[in-house]
Amino acid sequence: MMKIFRWWWGILLAFFLVAMVRVFLPLPFANEIIIFSIYTMGCSFLLGRVGFISFGQPAYLAVGAYGTAFYLYYFGTNPYIGILVGILAGLVVSAIVGAFFVRLRSDYFALVNLALAVIVFYMMEKVLAKITHGDNGLWFLANMSSTPVLDLGKPSHFFAFAFVVAMALWAFYKYLDDTIYGACCLATKTNEDKLRFLGYSNFRVRWMAFIIANATTALAGSLYAVYLGFVSPAITHPARAADPVVVTILGGVGTLYGPIVGAIAYTGMKDLLSGFITNWELFIGFVLVFIMLAGEKGIWGTLEPILKKAFFGKGTLARYQESGDKKR
Amino acid sequence: MDTQLLLSGVIFGLSIGSIFFLLAIGLSLCFGLMRIISLDQLLYYSVGAYITYTIHVVTGNTWLGVFGGMVAAGLVSFGVERFVFLRIYERDIAFTMITSFGILFAGVGAIKYIWGLIPRPVPVPIDAQVVILGTGVPVYRLIVIGISLLVYLGIWLFLNRTITGKAIRAGIEDVEHVEGLGVNVYKLFTMTFILAGILSGLAGGLHSSLIMVDPQMGLEVLAFVFMVVIIGGLGSIKGTLASAFIVGQVVSLGSLIYAPLAQMAPFAVMLVILLIKPTGLYGSRLLKR
Repeated sequence: MMKIFRWWWGILLAFFLVAMVRVFLPLPFANEIIIFSIYTMGCSFLLGRVGFISFGQPAYLAVGAYGTAFYLYYFGTNPYIGILVGILAGLVVSAIVGAFFVRLRSDYFALVNLALAVIVFYMMEKVLAKITHGDNGLWFLANMSSTPVLDLGKPSHFFAFAFVVAMALWAFYKYLDDTIYGACCLATKTNEDKLRFLGYSNFRVRWMAFIIANATTALAGSLYAVYLGFVSPAITHPARAADPVVVTILGGVGTLYGPIVGAIAYTGMKDLLSGFITNWELFIGFVLVFIMLAGEKGIWGTLEPILKKAFFGKGTLARYQESGDKKR
Repeated sequence: MDTQLLLSGVIFGLSIGSIFFLLAIGLSLCFGLMRIISLDQLLYYSVGAYITYTIHVVTGNTWLGVFGGMVAAGLVSFGVERFVFLRIYERDIAFTMITSFGILFAGVGAIKYIWGLIPRPVPVPIDAQVVILGTGVPVYRLIVIGISLLVYLGIWLFLNRTITGKAIRAGIEDVEHVEGLGVNVYKLFTMTFILAGILSGLAGGLHSSLIMVDPQMGLEVLAFVFMVVIIGGLGSIKGTLASAFIVGQVVSLGSLIYAPLAQMAPFAVMLVILLIKPTGLYGSRLLKR
């Protein structure tokens, strides 16, 4: 029982937090947080587990969003199928692109991803303007048919759906961390020669991780599309390329609950601060530098030991850390 | 496409390439010697441009402004180096990249706070044109190209003819050995960082007359500068010069053929070059710390 609880406690706590957000704060804010945290999860996995820093996440976000948008605008009306199409588009694109990209080193990787984001942006804005309607974007809110149980057209139902999706994703990533594959991901980050020595292919581990992470990002994109009922090239604007990285760092790199804490903090700061001062970048930038200098643990990374101590007491904490160290 | 259009396109590309070169050289040196990816060079670029604007407004002299911009950029980069980078030289590359991005972000916020959001114009210091092959070419653009070539020459002489420069070059090959020879590498690091900052400030000052000065200007050229550094090969100065002019031409001539190409074509070029030669044009073997 304790074991199951220990496995789930973080997820339950994180989602309790989100549920609280839903109760105390307006619905659009809660929806934005939950989509943003799904968006960040892929980046956090890439950065914290596989050691790839990607400044091109908006590209995959746009792939998912436009996949959904094309389906809902031109072909069908069911938003669920639209989301599936978006994920499928993300899988295909990241499988093709990833095969080339994961061969590169970490610093080059960040930059080719940025390049991809810019290419996708201009493709959607100019080159494919006939299909995507350029800067005007695709509006398809009216095209979505209402579905029986959860009607995604309604924001409150959408929140419930996104909540369940996010929770499933967290459970998935947590499960992934416990498997041999998760260990391989960590190994390819820390010592690729030794991983090869053990008989695993670095390329395959990284490729797989790339596909998983960017399919998640594409899912976030299609959720954005369904939620807003509208997609424009602004979603992949290069100026926003670093958002997921910033949120990942803010929440805590490689921690499972970092993305949601980071998303709450970032969206909250953006919304609250932009009310007081017009230039919230100043603040975000300083916070980022401060977190990096203070030991890059992020908000969750700092809170985690404190919370664990409060929940399990001192003895359990020591044992927990011990088992955690062994796993790593 | 007629000759006149082509020639003015080429000159435009060369001048843009010169600006990219001045910006990228700092990034390239920083990466080569310290193994940091210093996105905050784009901040010194904006600082240079804004100081140029301010001094121009006060004194009416743009050249004085460019000089002031260089000095200010050097000072800011010195401060940032002391307070931030000195603590993180030993860290992972991705770490420095994120930290420097934080600095850039904070700097853009500070610029918005001080100068406001409205784009500001800086007049071109020399209005004259010379006629080459029947095409009117603005003298200022030629001067920009000349300055960047002078800077290249100066850096080449500095790295090859002075003992400090030789130490820097040796540091690019192997920092630990240089340290073992009794050179204070942190002094070299500071010097290189300030040099990079001053060159970025110069780029900003020179570019300010060609475009409008606005708070986001650093983020706008960010992608291009990175492309230049990557195509040329991280840490190579010759490669940076070559790739800066390549990217400049691709931007300029691409926009003559089909407008959206100006933004997209360089990225396509970069992807192709990286897939063929992952280290860039002149990049040496994969450098690892």
